[in-house]
Amino acid sequence: MKTAIRMLSVATIILWIAIIFFSVTAVYSVMKLGINIGEVQMLPSSNGITFSLPFSITNNGYYELADLNLTTRVTDPDGTVLDLTETFVASIPQGTTVNESHTIPIDLDSILSMDHVPLLLNDSSFNVEIFAGLNFARAVPVQLSTNVTMPWGAPFAHFSVGTVSVSPYNSTHVEASIPVSFENHAILDITGTLKLEFYNDSNEQIASEMASINAPSQQSYAGRVLVYMRQQDISKLTSSENLHIIFETPVFVVEWWEQYG
Amino acid sequence: MAELNAKLILKKAIPRVLKATVWGALTFFVVYCLPMMLYPTDILPLDYSTLLINFATIVVFFAVVGQLFSGTIIGCGFGIAKAIVIIAYFFAVSDGGVFSVTLPISELTVNLAVDISILLLMIISVNLFNIAKNLLEAITLLTEKSTDIDLS
Repeated sequence: MKTAIRMLSVATIILWIAIIFFSVTAVYSVMKLGINIGEVQMLPSSNGITFSLPFSITNNGYYELADLNLTTRVTDPDGTVLDLTETFVASIPQGTTVNESHTIPIDLDSILSMDHVPLLLNDSSFNVEIFAGLNFARAVPVQLSTNVTMPWGAPFAHFSVGTVSVSPYNSTHVEASIPVSFENHAILDITGTLKLEFYNDSNEQIASEMASINAPSQQSYAGRVLVYMRQQDISKLTSSENLHIIFETPVFVVEWWEQYG
Repeated sequence: MAELNAKLILKKAIPRVLKATVWGALTFFVVYCLPMMLYPTDILPLDYSTLLINFATIVVFFAVVGQLFSGTIIGCGFGIAKAIVIIAYFFAVSDGGVFSVTLPISELTVNLAVDISILLLMIISVNLFNIAKNLLEAITLLTEKSTDIDLS
């Protein structure tokens, strides 16, 4: 019996030493970790822009860091997922440094599509959920999560089409001038062509015209689209009901409908 | 009779009380003071001093009573109680093995979850060994008492 008690005492002491040793060295290793997060870089890509977040982790501790996983999920105010990106580092052994960058590609074509017309016209905010996980010493999984709100500036904020003003052009035609204005709250300059198509209540196209637009970021745009028509058709234009707006750049095309008249 | 009691107190009780006091102070130093010296609260971004003082209170209490009643059935009972209380304490503090904490870092609120299930299992096993050891000690004590022959 006494031998059994002695053996149990020895086992208890060994286990306590193991627990204390692991706890102390683990806390020490965490304190010796060097985590550097660089500045967010915005890079142009073929279908929009890419946000890149460079980071480096120096493991000066006693244990390996495994299965490092950084995930970002961008959702619009309605909760629709706009982007889900994951960066994975399989292992950071002790005494090594890992340089990585987490890239979030923003596909402007999909964001600025018909499904997201309110995002084109109204300022909003995106919710960015950040999850980070790793396996410390392949024994203690650690997870970090946080939420960040990212403001979204609408590229066509306060878009408005003013009243048509008509002036004679020549003996047969008139010149209809349609004022167009908006504020570019987006981080990108807007350069491209704006096409306006006027439709009546029977959905017949009455007139269409194109104008070049250049609206730098955070600036207002106010211009006019000139439409040339026969004199007898001008009443159709002023009484038209629907306006199809198509904006085209080398990177993306957006279109939406507005009530008019 | 009074002289006998005084002798008993001087011979047995006072050394035990002194031993218990020293053992309690030493335990408090190892369990609370040493970790606070090694890892002051300003190093890590969470307030662990409250958890540590609670743990130190439990451990010091059982260290003192364990010394006061060492070699007795009551001492073994306190040994078993200590193991059960420590298991319960770690289970409650780590929320069943997943330690979660919310850290305000500048303007962000970061949720940190650390899965210490393996560590918790090790602590539980140590304390189960302790329970077994105390049970065996109690059985040994009872066996010795029942087999003692009073020849006087």
